[in-house]
Amino acid sequence: MLEVARLSKHFGGVRAVDELDFRVEAGEIFGLIGPNGSGKSTTVNMIAGIFAPTAGEIIFDGVDITEAPPHITLHAGIARTFQNIRLFNNMTVWENLWVAQNSAKQKRTGNPMARWMGGSRRAAAAVEEFLEFSNLAHKRDELAGNLAFGEQRRLEVARSLAAEPKFLLLDEPAAGMNLEEVKELDERLRVLRDRGVTILLVEHVMELVMEVTDRIAVLNFGRKIAEGTPSEVQQNQAVMDAYLGAGEGGSDA
Amino acid sequence: MGSGYALLAIGFTLIFGVLRRLNLSYGPSIMVGVFFGTFLFIQFQAGWYAVLVGTVLGAALAGAYVERLCFWAIKKGAAVASMVSSFAVWMQLEEGVTIAFPDRTYEFPALGDFELLELAGLSVRLEHVIMLGIAALLVFALHLLLFRTRFGLAVRAVSEDPNAALFMGVNTGRVIFLAFILASAIGGIAGYFIMATEEVITPKFGLQATFKGLIAMMLGGMGSVPGAIAGGLLLGVVEKQAEWYAGAVWRDIAAFLLLFLFLIVRPGGLLAQHTAASELAALRRV
Repeated sequence: MLEVARLSKHFGGVRAVDELDFRVEAGEIFGLIGPNGSGKSTTVNMIAGIFAPTAGEIIFDGVDITEAPPHITLHAGIARTFQNIRLFNNMTVWENLWVAQNSAKQKRTGNPMARWMGGSRRAAAAVEEFLEFSNLAHKRDELAGNLAFGEQRRLEVARSLAAEPKFLLLDEPAAGMNLEEVKELDERLRVLRDRGVTILLVEHVMELVMEVTDRIAVLNFGRKIAEGTPSEVQQNQAVMDAYLGAGEGGSDA
Repeated sequence: MGSGYALLAIGFTLIFGVLRRLNLSYGPSIMVGVFFGTFLFIQFQAGWYAVLVGTVLGAALAGAYVERLCFWAIKKGAAVASMVSSFAVWMQLEEGVTIAFPDRTYEFPALGDFELLELAGLSVRLEHVIMLGIAALLVFALHLLLFRTRFGLAVRAVSEDPNAALFMGVNTGRVIFLAFILASAIGGIAGYFIMATEEVITPKFGLQATFKGLIAMMLGGMGSVPGAIAGGLLLGVVEKQAEWYAGAVWRDIAAFLLLFLFLIVRPGGLLAQHTAASELAALRRV
């Protein structure tokens, strides 16, 4: 579904990402992990279209999206969340979802008048469903800025879902969550996968990554040092060296 | 007069709110529109509605030109560069109009010859009531547009976090462009109101419009639409009172004194509490 080939990004002399290859198959949850500064976020940003790669290519569903700007990648079916929560704080929970739902569907809705006046009933029903799914329905009319931290994290994911993506890029969705919230997130991700959403999960919280992912790629200094199932990766010597060598465990955010 | 200022400030607020950047060429764009209206009046003896439409169209076109040149072309986080180039375009527009209209001072048609009305012991001119009514209608329509339509939602999303909006699929470049044109068109209506009261127009109107819009916006509280309305009305009333009691020279002096006073006593503007509160909330979360 998503194929990244010889992807590189250099910032001046620093090789943030260096000749990275990996492939995410349709319907799987793919983990991208690595110590701080190993190039995970840079990779996500290149896929989402924030910056253009120095070299290499990104193919999504057979289409080259290497140079595509963010709203084009979204229309292609890729939605993302932000590592540091970036909600529309002065808009209600419902409106946050509505933005994503409408913008993503812009190309597809038929009736221009219905579009102008706020969209079809189907779109409203979809937003309702994502609110329900993320357990935020009772906060519908609350301003996003007034939500508790855990709720904001949920809204961040719900908002990207409202764009109805085929492919979801989650950038540290569990950062700052307690164990119970991580478990909830775990369950939600599985439900999404069963509904056919492919997920690329960048995460430091190993309790989540090792539980929920089908396969994992491990980065260190911009290079892929291992790839495989969670148990394979956990036993990989290079991975252990990278994490121990970095001086810190995997759970720092 | 006050309603004209309020609309000026609303247009300013829209641009400032969406882009977080100051467009100094806002007044001059309106000036271009007003001159186009005058041109229609002088050349074709156009009626008031044609002059109004011409003014709005002219201002919107000039606004589009400014956006492409100063804001679209200079995008990447260079707020100061945008402001400076909007100042340059200001000069360009003013000189351009001076070349096209070499006599400098022109007549602008009044809204019409209306009676003085007696309202609750006060004498009011009917055209001012009409202007106030149109301004109120416009504000209501703008509110509906911002809070009830898809485009309004996109504008609000962009003004909160342009990057996040981009990732939610909002075509931010287009939204900004349209918001800019909308703001300039509102400014055009404001310019028409002010000119129909003054009945004399010079290329210096651009300067006046930028200043008065800016002052009204700062009085009300930067980036707040209700604040812009309150600031505009207050400015209009104070200016008229100063003119009445102390003479025409005191009009602009009063405007600047008022701003001075506000910057000392209430630097956030009339309706600034909301912003301050939300900033505080943001701080608490960090």
